[in-house]
Amino acid sequence: MAAVLLRNTTCGIRCLTKGPAFISTTATISSSHGFGLLTKLRRSYGTTISQDLLNKKVQVYQSTSKDPYLNLSIEHHLLQHSHPESYVLFLYINDPCVVIGRNQNPWLEVNLPALQEAEDIKLVRRRSGGGTVFHDHGNVNWSVICPPAVFDRDRHAEMVVRALKDLGVTTAKVNERHDIVIAGDGRGNGQDIFKVSGSAYKLTRLRSLHHGTCLLNSPRLKNIGKFLRSPGEPYIKARGVESVRSPIRNVDVDTEEFTKGVVDEFRAMYEEQCGEDVTVKCVGEEDVKNMDNIRKGMDELTSIPWIYGQTPQFTFSSRPTEDDPRERPPLDLDVQSDFNVQFTLRHGEIQTANVSGLKYEGTAMDGDIYDGMISQTLAKGSEDDSAVKLYEIKDWATVLKSATAGQAFKVSDSSLNSISEWLNKVFPGNHFR
Amino acid sequence: MASIARCLRIARPSVVSAFAQSSVRIARPFSVTANNELRKYTREHEWIELSDDKKTGYVGISSYAAKALGDVVFVELPEEGKEVHAGDALGAVESVKSAADINAPVSCKVIASNLTLEESPSTINKVPEDHSASGGWVAKVQVTDQGIADLEKLMDEEAYKEFTAAEDH
Repeated sequence: MAAVLLRNTTCGIRCLTKGPAFISTTATISSSHGFGLLTKLRRSYGTTISQDLLNKKVQVYQSTSKDPYLNLSIEHHLLQHSHPESYVLFLYINDPCVVIGRNQNPWLEVNLPALQEAEDIKLVRRRSGGGTVFHDHGNVNWSVICPPAVFDRDRHAEMVVRALKDLGVTTAKVNERHDIVIAGDGRGNGQDIFKVSGSAYKLTRLRSLHHGTCLLNSPRLKNIGKFLRSPGEPYIKARGVESVRSPIRNVDVDTEEFTKGVVDEFRAMYEEQCGEDVTVKCVGEEDVKNMDNIRKGMDELTSIPWIYGQTPQFTFSSRPTEDDPRERPPLDLDVQSDFNVQFTLRHGEIQTANVSGLKYEGTAMDGDIYDGMISQTLAKGSEDDSAVKLYEIKDWATVLKSATAGQAFKVSDSSLNSISEWLNKVFPGNHFR
Repeated sequence: MASIARCLRIARPSVVSAFAQSSVRIARPFSVTANNELRKYTREHEWIELSDDKKTGYVGISSYAAKALGDVVFVELPEEGKEVHAGDALGAVESVKSAADINAPVSCKVIASNLTLEESPSTINKVPEDHSASGGWVAKVQVTDQGIADLEKLMDEEAYKEFTAAEDH
């Protein structure tokens, strides 16, 4: 069928354009003395991403910036403004960051308090679909933008697999989730399967974008897990997309050799169509900072309403509910036995609230009435009738106090403090301004 | 939706060829409405069906696109009141790690979104061309004067059927 024909054609081009030196690969080619040094990548620096460049049939860019927001904005600019028939490869490395998918929930996917503690790890929501990944300097991101007519979910993951195999990672392959996996160390030692590269896609009317990670030599591999385990997970039920956990591993390949390998494979697929040598255009902050579209993209990606407010509807409940009957971890709080906290949130804003079982002081009245009044205040902004935004909450104690301000009743200090402390941990607001 | 419709064709030929065989039925399954002549399609696989008043209509993605998408796990609906030109992103769907734009078939203003899709995104796989209360339509829109003119550029059912058949071969 069409698919088979297409694959064969691609392979044909590859074999034709690749020199014989590249065809035989062995498991030993993995050191910095591989053929990577035989032909160096041709690079040009200080590139402005002009429309002339964007109109070229085949384009290769590499970012010199490690700012994840900037790199994703450059990528988005290439997606929106490259010629509809062109083939674009963009390579970039990001500073440490946790990147969630377009339709994911940071309170569910990410350990926000741990991220805050780490201080140097950014939280990013990308525009493409898929699950949460971790980036650092040991991870190279590759991104291919092509016309919809040639798009398929594996096509460019296979391209990266060929590059890895050429570098000695002989067991690399694309799995059924369109991720790249290796067996053992990738070179014949060990059978366990590890994910080394994850894929995500963004499809617009005229263009298809496939980007992926590749863990080459991430120093933080052992610590990644703790950032991707949310303390709020037992209480949150979210619409949208949940991540699938996979064991990961470094492929242990040099960054420059990997970059060259991917560029070579990309050229082998498309350079012939361009009829000229493709140089790698290196772009950095200085080159793009005055481009309106990229600045606009940065503004959106770094905005709190995008990172947090884009979250699909979800519920938080301290007790099992009909919709989310999971057993909850036991709580050690100074509350009544019927204690419960339930919220429904949309765009990160509290839509409904149901708080019960708080302890009160200075009154003999039934606590249920006070609980109801607090719930009502939380469900609607007390001052301007706008919803309480979870991502603007700095401390739950302040929120609970302001919900009882001016009332004749008072939540007992010990009750309020223990609940706030717990909520700050499992359901924190925004710590990343 | 163009990208998606193609990607599965290539990635999972078995699924698509099964679909291609059944594509003969495409002229019929929209019989939920009596106004089929008012239904038009874009090359990017969105549909719009005008109501009798010719001022409002429903927008959604085609059965062809829904099949090709695979399991839809989330639908990003447009806000009420949003005004868009033909070809602008109206919303988005996510399936198999792909965020795909749903584009406005014509210039229009959103007057309602199909909230059913929030709770049950897979409805868009099951009944993508149904604009009843339980259907997989995406938005109800008010069509602007420009939008009426835009309709001229779209395909009717017959033309769309031929178009998708050609894409499959």
